[in-house]
Amino acid sequence: MSTPTDPTTPAAPPPAAPRPAVRPSRIPNWMANPWGRPRWLSAVTWIYILWALVPVLAAILFSFNDGRSRSVWQGFSTRWWWGDESLSVLHNATYSDALLHSLELAALNMAIATPLGFLLAIGLDRWRGRGSRPANFLMLVPLTTPELAMAVSLLLVFTQLSVLPFSAVHLGTTAQVIGQVTFSVSYVVVIVRSRLAAIGPEYEEAARDLGASAVQATRDVLVPLLLPAFLASTLIVFALSIDDFVVTQYMAAGGDTTTVPMLLYANARGATTTPALNAVATIMVVVTLMGVLGAYLVLRYFGHRTEGREVQGKEAMQDLTV
Amino acid sequence: MSIGNNGYGGEVELRGLQKRFGEVVAVDSIDLDVVPGEFFSLLGPSGCGKTTTLRLIAGFERPSAGEILLDGTSLGSVPPDRRNVNTVFQSYALFPHLDVLANVEFGMRYQKTKKPERKRRAEEALELVDLTALASRRPHQLSGGQQQRVALARALVLRPSVLLLDEPLGALDAKIRRQLRIELKALQEEIGITFIFVTHDQEEALSMSDRLAVMNGGRVDQVGTPRQVYESPETLFVADFLGVANVLEVEVEAAALADACSIRVGDFALRARGGDLGVRGAASVVVRPERLALRPHDAVAGENCLPGMVDRTVFVGSNLHVMVRLAAGGVLQASIPNDGSNLDLHEQGRPVLVHVPPDALRVLAPSAPVDSSRS
Repeated sequence: MSTPTDPTTPAAPPPAAPRPAVRPSRIPNWMANPWGRPRWLSAVTWIYILWALVPVLAAILFSFNDGRSRSVWQGFSTRWWWGDESLSVLHNATYSDALLHSLELAALNMAIATPLGFLLAIGLDRWRGRGSRPANFLMLVPLTTPELAMAVSLLLVFTQLSVLPFSAVHLGTTAQVIGQVTFSVSYVVVIVRSRLAAIGPEYEEAARDLGASAVQATRDVLVPLLLPAFLASTLIVFALSIDDFVVTQYMAAGGDTTTVPMLLYANARGATTTPALNAVATIMVVVTLMGVLGAYLVLRYFGHRTEGREVQGKEAMQDLTV
Repeated sequence: MSIGNNGYGGEVELRGLQKRFGEVVAVDSIDLDVVPGEFFSLLGPSGCGKTTTLRLIAGFERPSAGEILLDGTSLGSVPPDRRNVNTVFQSYALFPHLDVLANVEFGMRYQKTKKPERKRRAEEALELVDLTALASRRPHQLSGGQQQRVALARALVLRPSVLLLDEPLGALDAKIRRQLRIELKALQEEIGITFIFVTHDQEEALSMSDRLAVMNGGRVDQVGTPRQVYESPETLFVADFLGVANVLEVEVEAAALADACSIRVGDFALRARGGDLGVRGAASVVVRPERLALRPHDAVAGENCLPGMVDRTVFVGSNLHVMVRLAAGGVLQASIPNDGSNLDLHEQGRPVLVHVPPDALRVLAPSAPVDSSRS
């Protein structure tokens, strides 16, 4: 440091230390390469996918086993599907009856829960004012109630209460349908309401503006616009119903109300169980998958028609399926 | 023109129209007369109640108080589908499940129009907006400008006596917007029906309207022709909302002449010829930047000149926006044509004289509501 010779010249500030061009890092470059593929993420993802899918694929594979074993591969055959005259899915009445009953319940559930959910959704969407907010919230409660809790309460109500309308319901197909509809409706409401929110009030207002009465606007504009949501919720209800075990089991009354999931549950550990059970399970997997896939495709296909609003439809689907 | 009403436009009167949403008063006692066949704009910032007013006329909302008359008939209990008005929505609201032709035909379903007649009229309407070639497209396959024209055809084909337009150009990019502005005005003149046009874009409102209402906080601040509203704003809000306005706080002294008054800005005296010349004492004056001229500081200080110093100059191509800090306090923005003259007058720090023509100075009474949203 030298003393300034000229007092009129102010001392120049000391030059700032140069900053390093590259900041230090604790993670070695080969691991932290930000431009590379996300190796760790994809590895974890694939491990999970294998973990989840391999058992299902193995079960499907063993439905084609040539022998009785469900764990030792003895060659390929279709005997448990239709080859065996008495034990195959096609010929064993226990299996085919369960399949038919599952489909019957699904059909009834679709026929009741979808229109009902639709009306509820439209009603909730238009209902402004006192009570609408709690109602909106309470509609979601069945979605989050543990299914077992709902099943047990329904059982109690149908068997113990001697008050109409509960006393009129007897265990069996009727109770099973009512139980399934009770929780499926919430899903329909969620799908249709998200669609209604995406559509917005403007199309109906435009229809009214162009001379349509309230009924005509609903019929000619809202219903066509809600068609994809209708198809999607029908398929979701189908998948929910086919898949349901808890409520269906509790509402059942004897052998002829046995569904496929109930059959699978009862026989999974049985020593005498044949790979035909795997075949039934495979049918379940395929049917459920088709329902969900169908719903997704419907929402995606129709979504494109409403100017980029398909995103919301897809999100609604993801909320429900993932 | 077969699509129009043979030159017939409806007359709309709003009488003490009010709309509340809970505690919020969206439209606050509006009185307006829209004369037949005019292009009338409702101009204001977002939340000023202009769209609600339009929705009240269309019938999507019910007034909390007041009345809407269409050709002298009260629309009080008439639902939207039975009012002889049609709307072009901001988002166009074209039905996505119908093609362009079916969209245009839609409204005629509910009139007793025969199918071939419907098709003929829809095609005519599409011809009017130059979209015949796209009749079988779906709305999502059209550009924004094309969708806007379909929405226009869909509304006009019903031969309404009043067409309501809710920011119809808002979603388009600047170039198409300028073009459609001209087309829309030409169309309105051709078919002769009344247009009520909602916009927040002052340039749009000024360039298209026969008359406009400037709205602020649910009320109408001023109604007039574009020129009246721009050049003779009655409130600070109107002055500020329409273009750039310089506002100076002044002291108004006795009238010097019958058609002018003398005002003081700090130590400097000016003559003002516009606005409310009966005001005395504290007041505001408004002057448009394009009415100001800059002179060298050593020029002969003529009448109505204020000394100041160039604070900063913004180059915008055709013009220079020169901010001048006044010796009397405050900043004036002057808009100087970029014509190559007096280049040295725009340099930062240069002392200048700002010439303010007396007829460009508008005196506004201090009671004029000062809107908090003024920047």
